[in-house]
Amino acid sequence: MNTKVIKGRKIVEGIAEGEALVTKEPISFMGSINPKTGYVIERGHEIEGQCLKGKVLVFPRAKGSTGGSYMLYDVVKNGVGPVGIVNVEADSVVVIGAIVADLPMVDKIDIGEIETGDYVVVDGNNGVVKVQKRDNDTMGD
Amino acid sequence: MILTDEEKRMLDGQYGDLVRKSMKILVALGEIYGAEKMLDINNVHSPGVSYRVAGDAGLNFVKDASVAGRFEVPVTLNTIGIDSENWEELGFPRCFALKQLELLQAYHTMGAISTYTCTPYLVGNIPLRGEHVAWGESSAIAFVNSVLGARTNREGGPSALAAGITGKVPAYGYHLDENRKGKYLFKVDIDLKTDRDFAVLGYFAGKIAGTDVPVFEGIKRRPTLENLKALSAAVASSGAVALYHIVGVTPEAPTTEAVIGKQEPIRFGKKEYEEVVAKFSLEGDIDFVVTGCPHCSINEVRRVAQLLAGKKVKADFWICTSRQVKTLADKMGYTEIIREAGAQIVCDTCPVLAPTSSKGYKKLVTNSAKLAHYAPGLWNLKTGLIEIEDCVEAAIKGYWGGKV
Repeated sequence: MNTKVIKGRKIVEGIAEGEALVTKEPISFMGSINPKTGYVIERGHEIEGQCLKGKVLVFPRAKGSTGGSYMLYDVVKNGVGPVGIVNVEADSVVVIGAIVADLPMVDKIDIGEIETGDYVVVDGNNGVVKVQKRDNDTMGD
Repeated sequence: MILTDEEKRMLDGQYGDLVRKSMKILVALGEIYGAEKMLDINNVHSPGVSYRVAGDAGLNFVKDASVAGRFEVPVTLNTIGIDSENWEELGFPRCFALKQLELLQAYHTMGAISTYTCTPYLVGNIPLRGEHVAWGESSAIAFVNSVLGARTNREGGPSALAAGITGKVPAYGYHLDENRKGKYLFKVDIDLKTDRDFAVLGYFAGKIAGTDVPVFEGIKRRPTLENLKALSAAVASSGAVALYHIVGVTPEAPTTEAVIGKQEPIRFGKKEYEEVVAKFSLEGDIDFVVTGCPHCSINEVRRVAQLLAGKKVKADFWICTSRQVKTLADKMGYTEIIREAGAQIVCDTCPVLAPTSSKGYKKLVTNSAKLAHYAPGLWNLKTGLIEIEDCVEAAIKGYWGGKV
């Protein structure tokens, strides 16, 4: 078991786990995401066409519209949102959306340590992210 | 966080559940960002008022709040998803419009002011320098912090609502002197004349500055209100900029040294300008033209009316503005000129916040970097960022030749 524990800052309490969806580009929940389907719709975005459903969403920081708080809340309420959020630097618009959506969130994380497909536990109670790398040995199981 | 006795009573639920929940959101934010106390505010601009943004989750959130309590301080409302008086004629879908009206009713019940605009500072909500406020709408936040020198963080719908209910915000971020200094210095090496020029600069700088504070030096021509409106919208679209300084222009930046330490500036010249323009270049048949993102001032409506006088448009042309500015435009005869030309003044909304049109538009030109940024994802449109005179020409011909 190759599990890495990364210490960050707790933003929103709670524990969530799932497969990581990682982007190095900022996200605006208003404009980058379709809240009804959970798909990334921003043209040319690194993860355009990916779905957030059930994923731990890992991105550096927010950008853009303050409508993002309700849209994050909405995408989660619609059952197609992420289960947790990991940021380098938390922006208030995403934090507020995560608070009202009860979405565990941690920031101050070096997201270069996480790759799409890794299995990630977001521990918002302790401000810790646990990363289990995609293990090539288990691919055939 | 140290709370006053009164604030503790609010958090303990002595003023009801809505006040308790609102304080809980604000205290959570304060704890995350290391606020030492709450600040009193008497001014909120609420985002998340479009049903497109709020969704059913947001609608229920606000409806629940409206049953439980009222706003304690004046709250102006941001742009919505329909023209509130003309939505049927403009072809907004009925099911969407009814949900939107339901959301507005909930805000009205709580005592909000029906401005429905992203430019509250053009219709009477003008906080003063140093005043603590709670504003949403990314473009208006950049404007109120930078141009007016008031102080707000980037408030989302739920936190603006909580601030309106309690009259409080946690003291962190842009409320504090130490966070209002510049981080990135930009040296502007070209003469910026038009709103699009300022939008291009903002788009360039926002991408680099991210959540930090850019400082612009070398802007020689004193910017107009409309220039600054365009800059504010652009810098908060490609990035999450809440505050910028223009040396010699904005109130907190009398000199470069006053706002930023010594550093090598990032150059913004002809090459950088053209790179942004190239990202939004477009040619061919144009079926949709929009100006007014953020909402047009009366000066902008007048300019469009002058350019359109006696002409006819082939493309659909929206001039988006607030109801208050349209009332002025009606009085001045501009609305009539625009209608005669076959274009439309659209109030309360814009393509960023309205539901996707059923008209199947394919190519949009605009002079707004914010709209050019959002329209490809939100409305599935190819977008061109061009000067306002060229927007009018493209609307008349239904075609744009693609010159820069």
